[in-house]
Amino acid sequence: MTKEQLKKVPKGRSLWKDGMRRLVKRRLAMICFGIIILYFLLAGFIYIAEAFNLKVGPVNWAEEVGTQYEPPSSKTIFGTDIFGQSVLRKTLYGAKISLTVALSASFISILIGVPLGAIAGYYRGVVDEIIVWIYSTLSSIPYILLIMAFAIVLRDKTLFGYKITGISTVYLSIGLTSWVGLCRLIRGEVIKHKEREYVLAARSYGCTNKRIIFRHLIPNVVHLVIIDFSLRFVAFIHAEVILSFLGLGEGTRPSWGAMINDARIELSRGVWWQMAAATVAIFFISLTLNIFGDALRDCLDPKLRVE
Amino acid sequence: MANTNGHLLKVDNLKTYFPIRKGLLRRTVGHVKAVDDISFAIRKGQSLGLVGESGCGKTTAARSIIRLVPVTSGNVVFDGIDVLSAEKEQLYAVRRDISIIFQDPFGSLNPRMTIGNIIGEPIKIHKKTKGQELTEQVAELLTKVGLSPDHINRYPHEFSGGQRQRIGVARALALRPKLVICDEPVSALDVSIQSQILNLLKELQEEFSLTYLFIAHDLAVVEFFCDIVAVMYLGKIVEQANSQQLYRNPLHPYTKALMSAIPQIDTTLRGKRTAFGGEVPSAINPPSGCPFHPRCPLAQSKCSRQMPTLEQVSGSDGHLIACWFCEKKIFSD
Amino acid sequence: MENNNNKLLSVEDLSTHFFTEAGVAKAVQQVSFSIEKGKTFALVGESGCGKSVTALSIMRLVPYPPGKIVNGKIMFRGRALLDLDEKQMRRIRGNRIAMIFQEPMTSLNPVFTVGNQIVEAIKLHQKKSTSDAWKDAVEMLRKVGIADPQQRVREYPHQMSGGMRQRVMIAMAVSCRPTLLIADEPTTALDVTTQAQILDLLDQFQEQIGMSILLITHDLGVVAERADKVAVMYASRIAEVSDSEKLFEEPLHPYTKGLLKSLPQLGFTGSRLQTVSGNVPNPLDFPTGCKFHPRCPIGFDDKRCQAREPQLREVQKGRLVACWYAQGYETQKEYKEYESKYGEHKRTSA
Repeated sequence: MTKEQLKKVPKGRSLWKDGMRRLVKRRLAMICFGIIILYFLLAGFIYIAEAFNLKVGPVNWAEEVGTQYEPPSSKTIFGTDIFGQSVLRKTLYGAKISLTVALSASFISILIGVPLGAIAGYYRGVVDEIIVWIYSTLSSIPYILLIMAFAIVLRDKTLFGYKITGISTVYLSIGLTSWVGLCRLIRGEVIKHKEREYVLAARSYGCTNKRIIFRHLIPNVVHLVIIDFSLRFVAFIHAEVILSFLGLGEGTRPSWGAMINDARIELSRGVWWQMAAATVAIFFISLTLNIFGDALRDCLDPKLRVE
Repeated sequence: MANTNGHLLKVDNLKTYFPIRKGLLRRTVGHVKAVDDISFAIRKGQSLGLVGESGCGKTTAARSIIRLVPVTSGNVVFDGIDVLSAEKEQLYAVRRDISIIFQDPFGSLNPRMTIGNIIGEPIKIHKKTKGQELTEQVAELLTKVGLSPDHINRYPHEFSGGQRQRIGVARALALRPKLVICDEPVSALDVSIQSQILNLLKELQEEFSLTYLFIAHDLAVVEFFCDIVAVMYLGKIVEQANSQQLYRNPLHPYTKALMSAIPQIDTTLRGKRTAFGGEVPSAINPPSGCPFHPRCPLAQSKCSRQMPTLEQVSGSDGHLIACWFCEKKIFSD
Repeated sequence: MENNNNKLLSVEDLSTHFFTEAGVAKAVQQVSFSIEKGKTFALVGESGCGKSVTALSIMRLVPYPPGKIVNGKIMFRGRALLDLDEKQMRRIRGNRIAMIFQEPMTSLNPVFTVGNQIVEAIKLHQKKSTSDAWKDAVEMLRKVGIADPQQRVREYPHQMSGGMRQRVMIAMAVSCRPTLLIADEPTTALDVTTQAQILDLLDQFQEQIGMSILLITHDLGVVAERADKVAVMYASRIAEVSDSEKLFEEPLHPYTKGLLKSLPQLGFTGSRLQTVSGNVPNPLDFPTGCKFHPRCPIGFDDKRCQAREPQLREVQKGRLVACWYAQGYETQKEYKEYESKYGEHKRTSA
């Protein structure tokens, strides 16, 4: 078969393509996906704007700029906060913080959880027992305490030459404590797949362990990582809220968590619009991620394919 | 180099026991005696069939030979190489010369790889071939098994069961092996496809001078396919003979009962059904002595005390049987 | 044909389709057959031919979505099953029509003892006290040949072997003395020796209770030994219906012929088996005309077979075939019709 002939040979229909095709047909999931993309575009825009020094937000958010606590009106859609800053602006800006935290924390979780899970599941024995012991212990500690502990310890330390401040504290602490669920998931799947005949076949023609893990097992569990990612993202956004609420979050710039934190005092004064704005923003990203994540699971899981 | 007497594969006293661990300290409380002391040999170009019902150990035996499961004791000599104590390099060579075709056409192919990659991977690993040359070799293999090379970029789920099994055959042939182990290759296929695959395997045997170790539970398939047949029961070989002999003249009570239990279409072949009570006992606690004695119509007290040895029936050509009391008469024709 | 009074179940023109994201899979099309009282009727075919879906349609257990019975009539003891509401249907299931499945491990609930499951079946349909139902359950286990039933009745499915679990399934199914037992591949997952025992057991019950059996299987040997009448299914349609003996003596449909010739039989001495070329078609993408034509030695290049689906017709007494070329099938009228459409056609040798 010549190279030219090979080029003409039609590409097959991988399970990914199949899954994507089915996903695209689901209108609700696609609408949700659109909304999620909007959030990301917003965050991206803010990053770019800041990089080019375009004025999207005041340099100092704690500067008094206008009337305090103006309720929502035709002038200011979401009202103003204690410094007279536009709540709408703060909400939009908060998207950057939340998404950055969630994305980075996801990254860290995947980086730790997937390899550990794969190694534990494949090699079993002592290695497995150690890893399982580690994550069982970690997950037995109440989540919030754990995150708080990490956040307090990591604050103002340096890691690989970078100073850990504010936002980094947040996502590092979340990421370093949240990999357990993914690790368990991957470990379970790897144990299942390890006994499948195609893995046996690979061993029978001399595949090394490394090759089996990377070439055969991991591609068959990647879809789980993606599904888990989309669902866990929501949890990370909420975790950021909790950290800010506890005063461990990003200090100088507005985030949804900080807005809700401020609302604690504000509500007693009848100022509800900051909390409402933040809650609405969190609600929609969580809802759309959940719906989209469910649709992803339905479409990507080979077992759920209707033959 | 071990003396193999002209046999390509010689298995002696193979035992594969799986430990059962219980309790906090994971102590071994017993063993599943999956393969319990079997011996056989295959010459180059022959097909030997291992037949038996589920749990008899035939699949475990096949996997033990290439060390896909840990072997407890015994000797496996392949092409002069002692497989069970081979070092990495030698084992690598063995893995190149023995290949295996699996039963499940759906589970034996990685669903995330194209069939081109699936078939080509063994070649890539052993011969370090890549690119154009690899594609050509894969295309040739596809043609040999009756599939179109145009399908080289397709994924397993785009094929039917029979076609997937052909892909499995192509993969098994990729390195031009000397011995091919067929682990129930047609059991999971539709009836109208089974004969296609069996014919294909036979043709390939002639073309590539292959030697087969054929594992199945369907006696008719094994009779057609194999030169020599060994019947297994609960980890042991109870009877072994060349194919024609075994079917015309089964001696062991288990073999006889097995044959009579097969539903026959041809009314002339339906013999009187041998009353066959009970079920196959578990391999964890096999009966003492001859494993078949609790269900055997000929059983006597000696059978529960002593396991009969596999011995040649006098006057026969390689007809072996492990039974104390059955009639050992060979009909020659 | 037979006296209508003897017909226990009559399926007429049944069609069941599956509406999936990938398209409509026409799993069962225009299937018609009838089962007499006290007899064993076998539905034979390979994977994807629609035999299991037919059974599920009779029991009205087809999952909806995506499956739906789109057409047909099923008469059971004078009642039209497809017209009944769910409550009425539930009274029939397990009671008048019972079903056993292929995989006893997944058809039995792993968290309940087998005794519990049999008792549940009994109490659903008969007005018995719990203690009476348990006594019945133990008795049923004894009847299906399980030794030590008092002990076994308290065991869980995973503590039993495959053959025993199948016996438990049969005990559950037969506990209410059904008039029709549907057995969907009851012995496929079992060893050959256990298979014979289970089939003997079914025969035994058939004699004792006088129930009819709808036996669904792909194993022609089982059919030859146990069935009175056979319907061969291929790709959602019935290809041939006949008395069991006659079917094996003289198969009429090319598919049946090919299938029988390609089976390895004990005593075969050739070096190659006969084959049926090609593959079983995908229900989402059936061929036009006769579904078997791409693999048929007669039909693969015949214009009529490629274009038109043959219907089931009686060609001999008690034998129906769906093939343009089965003996005695063509009528003069049809022939003339065909000629006017397609011109003269040549009959290729079988």
